[in-house]
Amino acid sequence: MKRYVILIAYRPWDWSSATPEVRQSYVDAHDAFQQYVDEHGAHLGSAALGDADTATTLRADADGARMVTDGPFAELAEQIGGYYDVELPDLDAAIAAARLLPPAYTVEVRPVVRIEGYDPQ
Amino acid sequence: MTPDEALAATVREEWGRLVALLLAQFRRLDLVEDALGDAVEAGARTWPRDGIPDRPAAWLLTAARRRVLDRLRAEAMAARTRPLLVVDAEVTAARGSVRADPGDLVDDDVLRLVLMCCHPALAPEVASALALRLVVGVTTADIARLFLVPEPTMAARVTRGKRKIVTAGIPFGVPDATALPERLGVVAQVAYLAFTAGYAPGSGPDLLRADLSGEAVRLVRVTLALRPDEPVLRALLALLLLQHSRRDARVGDDGRLVLLPDQDRSRWRLDEVDEALGLLQGMPGAVTSPLAESYRLQAYVAAEHATAVTASDTRWDRVCEHYAALVALNPSPAVRLAAAVALAERDGPRAGLRALDDLDGALPHSHRLPAVRGELLARAGEPRAAVEALDVAIGRCGNDVEREHLTRRRDELASRRE
Repeated sequence: MKRYVILIAYRPWDWSSATPEVRQSYVDAHDAFQQYVDEHGAHLGSAALGDADTATTLRADADGARMVTDGPFAELAEQIGGYYDVELPDLDAAIAAARLLPPAYTVEVRPVVRIEGYDPQ
Repeated sequence: MTPDEALAATVREEWGRLVALLLAQFRRLDLVEDALGDAVEAGARTWPRDGIPDRPAAWLLTAARRRVLDRLRAEAMAARTRPLLVVDAEVTAARGSVRADPGDLVDDDVLRLVLMCCHPALAPEVASALALRLVVGVTTADIARLFLVPEPTMAARVTRGKRKIVTAGIPFGVPDATALPERLGVVAQVAYLAFTAGYAPGSGPDLLRADLSGEAVRLVRVTLALRPDEPVLRALLALLLLQHSRRDARVGDDGRLVLLPDQDRSRWRLDEVDEALGLLQGMPGAVTSPLAESYRLQAYVAAEHATAVTASDTRWDRVCEHYAALVALNPSPAVRLAAAVALAERDGPRAGLRALDDLDGALPHSHRLPAVRGELLARAGEPRAAVEALDVAIGRCGNDVEREHLTRRRDELASRRE
């Protein structure tokens, strides 16, 4: 089994104004994803994130001082809206799972790697 | 056969199978290629002394296995762990006992290797380099020459590809039957990219690297042998063979590029033309994949050229029909440009020029479009406008060989004008 973090990017839109049908289609898609992961591997964690305009970024300036700014890493049309942390057999399985998520998402599949000499609990 | 020739032939024929077998057994992409390279070196040393082994491929496999085991032992001493290639359950089960020599399962292992190298998660230029290196055994130096990049750049590209495979978990496996045709389509695109790289004009003695394009043809052959009914592979092999059959006639004695109408047709490889025509005839009438249909239509066009005894015998009516179908399938600017050229041959330069009219917006930087326009204007009896168009083409052309060709044509027309 390999561990992947599946990052979800979306174009910010107004969830509160979405019709019940649209909301249900999103819920169904996430359920289908969860079911695939449960059948083929394991679900280790996940979260939906607040909109990018609620993000705070810390970045070192030229002198190494950590500056705090309002907003995400990068201002892009698409913003990270959530993630899944899963275990699946291989990249093909991760891609198959990611295909089940709502089509409006752009999904990035990133392998989790072990840093040699560092073993967190 | 001398020992050197026997070794070269074995490497050429068996490289992909050996890589596949070693990967299936050890799952260590980082060790297998080096181990096999060492085994070939050992063969070069010992075969002249001890004679050619009865089963040369098995000899290389055993030697390479020993190398991998040595490395694994050394690593175990250092207590280091490396990420393993992901192998599907079927392979793991089949590896219960180590097979002494290639058996029935090997074909599937080679297909796993091809699909791993040509995975859609790899950039096409990375995938084609990996496939040529691991499946067909082309050296990194030759792959670099094919793609016109420095050898260290290509070596880094191959290394990056292998790292992505292992880290991202691209499987050494065959997807289920519903997903397989699409994946074989990716294999076809990867092979086509490698093939066309060899026909991108270079300079000097490397004007055409057609011999290296032949390695891409081999990649398609290997894959087609594993899935003989796959339309996309059949159509692509036919297309590549038809284009490749003209390689000897494409460069003149003075080293210059020779265009299709001026080629010495006796230098075309008729055996390859025949094979391609056979492949096309054996294809089912209705092909469902647009990619396969696109390759087939392009092959039909190439077949019209290949079967015309002289350039003037070309059945432009049929070429135009194939292009019309191709434009309907994929109305890309490049296809429409080629269709306009065919139209000019059938209906005269004015018809071709009209077909070019709405392409400028789609191809604002192309040198081919003004080059074609210049040629058609010349034929239509407008040398002044032709020279103007060729000047635009020369200004946009980034390739020395092609620019030289265009400049020659321009000067010829300019002098005729006076």
